[in-house]
Amino acid sequence: MTLPTDQHTEGKKNVTFRVFRFNPQVDSKPYFDDYTIPVERGITVLRSLNYIKEHIDGSVSFRAFCQAGICGSCSMRVNGLSQLACTTQVWDVLAKSREPGIIKVEPLRNLPLIKDLIVDMDPLVGKMVHYSNWIDSTMPEAQMGKKEFLISEEEFLRYDKATDCILCASCVSECSILRANKEYVSPAVLLKSYRMSVDSRDSMHEQRMAELVKDHGVWDCTHCYRCQESCVKSIPIMDAIHGLREDAIESRGKNDTSGSKHAEAFMTDIEKKGKLIEATLPIRTNGVVWTLQNLLPMAMKMIMKRRTPLPPPLVKSVKGIKIFRTMFREMTEHVKQDQKSHKK
Amino acid sequence: MKRYAYYLSCINESMTKEVDRSIELWQKDLGIELVKLHEGTCCGGSNLEYVSPKHFALVNGRNIALAEKMGLDLIVSCNTCLMTIRTAKKKLDESPELKREINELLKKEGLEYRGTSEVRHLLWVLVDDVGLDTIREKVKVPLKNYRIAPFYGCHILRPSTVLGHDNPLDPTSLDQLIEALGGETIPYTHKNRCCGFHTLLVAEQESLNVAAEALQEAIESKADFIVTPCPLCHTSLDGYQAKALKNAGVENSIPVFHISEMIGLALGYSAKQLGIKRHIVC
Repeated sequence: MTLPTDQHTEGKKNVTFRVFRFNPQVDSKPYFDDYTIPVERGITVLRSLNYIKEHIDGSVSFRAFCQAGICGSCSMRVNGLSQLACTTQVWDVLAKSREPGIIKVEPLRNLPLIKDLIVDMDPLVGKMVHYSNWIDSTMPEAQMGKKEFLISEEEFLRYDKATDCILCASCVSECSILRANKEYVSPAVLLKSYRMSVDSRDSMHEQRMAELVKDHGVWDCTHCYRCQESCVKSIPIMDAIHGLREDAIESRGKNDTSGSKHAEAFMTDIEKKGKLIEATLPIRTNGVVWTLQNLLPMAMKMIMKRRTPLPPPLVKSVKGIKIFRTMFREMTEHVKQDQKSHKK
Repeated sequence: MKRYAYYLSCINESMTKEVDRSIELWQKDLGIELVKLHEGTCCGGSNLEYVSPKHFALVNGRNIALAEKMGLDLIVSCNTCLMTIRTAKKKLDESPELKREINELLKKEGLEYRGTSEVRHLLWVLVDDVGLDTIREKVKVPLKNYRIAPFYGCHILRPSTVLGHDNPLDPTSLDQLIEALGGETIPYTHKNRCCGFHTLLVAEQESLNVAAEALQEAIESKADFIVTPCPLCHTSLDGYQAKALKNAGVENSIPVFHISEMIGLALGYSAKQLGIKRHIVC
């Protein structure tokens, strides 16, 4: 199809879709095909892809089902950002295109490619299984079907937003750590893990948490917020990750893993000096051996450049630390009171 | 001379001292005065929020209240401190109960969190208050001939519900600053990506991979240097650069500047005055 792209009429434009193509059974490497089609205002990327498939090239492959932003099947990268093709307006993305009149459509990142815009969701499902993303009821079997499991509104509100997830995997595609290591748990799986862990019917909290604190788990998140920013349902995914970390420290203690030790160091240092004592942070997080093995060459360079943080005794407390400490410790008492009344 | 309260970030007090040193050199040239908040404490660096949400609110409510007592906005030059303090502000402004609780404690110090001071990044002050035209007028040594990769970092952009200054998908403020200083920005897909800093001690390999990707793109694009508004991104991209690139099998290097140093160079200060020689990659 070779309609000139500058042929515009009001409310209608010729738009070029630059579609990622790769069929591993035939192609030695991926390539892009351009399809230029007339598009009216109000048409979505998915409808445009359907048009291309029906009228121009039946071999273009993508996954789609509900066409209404509910099933999560048609997630793909449109102009670089992972989103649902069915809820993405062509005119909206066109306005932000790097190359005028061209919309680039690519498969999700961080999942194996099957063909064209279709990725394999099995690794994600496998992780959901690995991290027990379901509820095994605490109710004794004898009572099943005889007794109701009442959930308070307050409890439901804790995971209400998390239940909006439609498993589209946009967050998976945008995740910085997953890009660096495919073993990483994934934001979607952390979100589901949180949703299950705060449910009072759940009996698998300890087992799930024991997996989550291992390598590639909840402590590997680098707080880049790309998952949350790309979520098609605007779920605050980082709140769920923070919730799991808070839970990990509470249920397994602050010395459980390098992640919890690292996080706890901020609390300790702020109380002590009002500021972070950076010189000993690697040792407190990972121990002396790890620090020597991993950071010694860099530490030497830093010493040469006078860039090393001061040793703890030389770190001056912030001005007015005494009164600050009093307030900080009083807040610790508030938190203890909160925990007591929460347990009641 | 417009005055602001200036938040002292832990890292700028220790590993990246050149940030505050270079700001001190040129602040008056650009008609601003940053009054250092010596009573301010560590913000909790995106960790305290889940270790203890209430201490997080107290500590940062207090940091803002110190600026409010002076009747000034609070200016931050570290992305994570910015995001952290703004997150606390949002929580306090949305919860009268939490605000009441921390204000009960802050009374001891004669402080009150009211929510009247804005918490802003130095980059935003430069672009919005000082203005690009003023910056252009003050340039003595334009950065022409320099191809510059703008690395925004995460916490000046995301979450956009807390930050909201630039479009997180297509930020422009740093590009505008570079151009006002006479430099050329390069198209840089990693401009709004992550530097990997926050997991350097917990998932080192992953962090190094993340940093290496950003460095590699800048090197392949033939940028002369990377510039960042965040000292944490700087530490990851400069301090860990050799390790990250070695890990990725890249035999090359690229300097990484703080925005405060880039401005200093364009205003005629020397690399020595600005502390650029303190960088690991020079």
